Amino acid sequence: MNSLLDWLDVRTGYKALVHEALNEPIPGGAKWKYVWGSTLTFVFAVQVITGFFLWSAYSPSTLTAWESVYYIQHVMSFGWLVRGIHHFAAQAMMVLLGLHFMQVVIAGAYRAPREVNFWLGLVLLQIVLGLSLTGYLLPWDQKGYYATKVATNIVGVTPVIGPQLQQIAQGGTTYGHHTLTRFFALHAGVLPALLVGFLALHIYVFRRHGITVSEADQKKPIGKFWPDQVLMDAVACLGVLATILFFTVWKGAELTGPADASEAYSAARPEWYFLFLFRFLKFEEVDKLGLVFGALYVPGAIMGVIALMPFIGKWKLGHRFNIAFTFALLAGAAFLTAIALKEDSADKNYQAAVHMAEFEGHRAVELAREFGIPSTGALSLLKEDALIQGPKLFARHCASCHRYNGHNGLDQVPMREVEENGEKKQVEELATAADLGEFGSRNWITKVLTDYHTTFAPLKNSGERGERFLQGEMAEWVKDNAETLKKPENADSLKSLVEFLVAEGGREELQPFDPALVEAGKAIFKSGQLANGSFTSNCADCHTLASVGEGAGPGYPTLTGYAGKVWLTEFIKNPAHDGFYGSERNLMPGFEGKISDKELKLLVDWMVGDYFRKK
Amino acid sequence: MEPSSSLPPDQPTARRNFLAVAGSLVAGAIVSLTPLMAGLAFFLDPVLRKKETFKGGDADGFLPVTTLSELPDDGTPLRFALLADKVDAWNQFKNQSIGTVYLRKFEGNQVIAFNDTCPHLGCKVDYQEASQTFLCPCHASAFKLDGERMNHIPPRNLDTLEVKTDSNGKVWVKYQDFQCGVEKKGAV
Repeated sequence: MNSLLDWLDVRTGYKALVHEALNEPIPGGAKWKYVWGSTLTFVFAVQVITGFFLWSAYSPSTLTAWESVYYIQHVMSFGWLVRGIHHFAAQAMMVLLGLHFMQVVIAGAYRAPREVNFWLGLVLLQIVLGLSLTGYLLPWDQKGYYATKVATNIVGVTPVIGPQLQQIAQGGTTYGHHTLTRFFALHAGVLPALLVGFLALHIYVFRRHGITVSEADQKKPIGKFWPDQVLMDAVACLGVLATILFFTVWKGAELTGPADASEAYSAARPEWYFLFLFRFLKFEEVDKLGLVFGALYVPGAIMGVIALMPFIGKWKLGHRFNIAFTFALLAGAAFLTAIALKEDSADKNYQAAVHMAEFEGHRAVELAREFGIPSTGALSLLKEDALIQGPKLFARHCASCHRYNGHNGLDQVPMREVEENGEKKQVEELATAADLGEFGSRNWITKVLTDYHTTFAPLKNSGERGERFLQGEMAEWVKDNAETLKKPENADSLKSLVEFLVAEGGREELQPFDPALVEAGKAIFKSGQLANGSFTSNCADCHTLASVGEGAGPGYPTLTGYAGKVWLTEFIKNPAHDGFYGSERNLMPGFEGKISDKELKLLVDWMVGDYFRKK
Repeated sequence: MEPSSSLPPDQPTARRNFLAVAGSLVAGAIVSLTPLMAGLAFFLDPVLRKKETFKGGDADGFLPVTTLSELPDDGTPLRFALLADKVDAWNQFKNQSIGTVYLRKFEGNQVIAFNDTCPHLGCKVDYQEASQTFLCPCHASAFKLDGERMNHIPPRNLDTLEVKTDSNGKVWVKYQDFQCGVEKKGAV
């Protein structure tokens, strides 16, 4: 073995190199505070390794990026682990950069003759920021897409060359295939290559000057890099790796729904380490001074001060200023981050949007697993899915009057601005029509029959015509018959009537229907005869059923197929039709021509619960 | 500060030094091998995990191909494409040709099926009407009508596939690809 190593040494001289690398003297001995640079190098190595493997499975285009990341994360062996490590190591890198930077400033390691190395470090910082920014877009999910858009739009406001820069970054005026190929080339090629180059320079210059040692330590005995400091470095790296693995297992790398340029994502936020900048830009005063000021000049000025630290440090109080500046910067960033997090956690609509994005991510994965992804991409799975599109269509078309379990279908409560004592305030927009969360269910029909007034209470907010509904014939009928229906002896009769009406709709999610109950209910519908007493007037006196009577004419909604797919579709198209409320009484706008057939189908399928469910 | 040109003195005890060396090596091995091994396992996914190449067959994986009446009674081979939903990693392509087969019918409605991929190196063999043989255009592998090889270019006979016919006269084939270049017929 030794002769072989000697043979190799004669030809390569590796022994001298290893000796040089490992035998760096450390005045004052090895110290834990020296580990940060090594941990950063380690995390970068982790990124190179995991990045290479991810590269072997990733496909950068708008039709394959999300899809391949889904495949990596949810299908491939250990994909979740490799992607999780890459994802959280990127975040660990930001934390370690901060710690390394603080250590450098506190130790005054920027002082002569180490200025150049300090600047090399700043270049490395910029490259790492570039890597995190370009990496964020690659999964092409809603979160990354919209967060990155903000960044490229900031590039676009650069004076003079902004628009051109933005187009170069995006590969055109909008986001598309070309954006991904470019970001990927930057993320996996250009930036890592630059990082390796600058890191080599950084370490070379560092070795030239050695560790910055405090005056007290300089008098102490000299320690060795190998194995004393290496052990501390390795243990620190172990700690970093354990933290990364902890988050990988505990949280896992997130993948929200596939990016959808047509759908605004109201929960767009940058990654947490950019959150302070995001919050800074939101200040009204900053906003007034313009995006260029907040997004370019201020960060530019801060970077300028940092770059000048070696010179500032020469002044009498310069070093103290540098430390104070660094701490002020970190405190400011922490403060702004805290405000941003606090505001977001208090913002219900923001939380709802985050929840929706996560839900879309889960749903896209569920659909992809079940049906495979069509060549038109995973987004088309979501676009054809009633469970995803239904609530959106409800929020867009129905929620100005109706609610769905108290919200707009998307867990948000419609708000409007009012002025109170000269102050603008957000108040909840009142519903003017029934809450449709349970529409057509057994519970709904029971409520309509026994508690009409509560069910349709929001109608009173719609003025005189709404009042007419609340004092109309059906309201009167319920007033007259609710007591009878609610009698304990009539519980079965009510159940039968409800079962009959639910069976009319034939909705899949409400099945199975009890045939005996349906028959009994039908008899009650026609005759009004209950176990104990009878109705003041029969249902069939007013409401048409294909198999029963003729009905009383316009204004009495037909109950054939009540709340089923066909019924609901026709009702939404034209509720003023004679088979429903009739033009005299109807309050609801008809949606024929206002909503496409496809959208109407998705909305109705969602309302009647007809969509894929995982078994 | 200029780097010290003299080597640091060997002040720690040998025992302490040994622990530090061992600790460094162990911790170093863990941190470097964890991402590497995870990545390697990930890279080996194609051999670690069984994947479907198509969807749409019946419970046993048979696909409908044609009907008995479409096949000539004299045993002349006819080539058919098999249609199914092709699965390529995450994508599913509806109703694509996932492969082609030759079918031959004999008396008593017996049907045999050949995968038309040459077992030599994977080109598609063609049926030659005049010589009544299957010939591979790539390296001149030749097979008799019953699939037996006629020269020693291919390592084995043409690969047969499982066939079944149902009561409606429909012919079903269980499509499989086999490893090329080896004597033993093994599905891939």
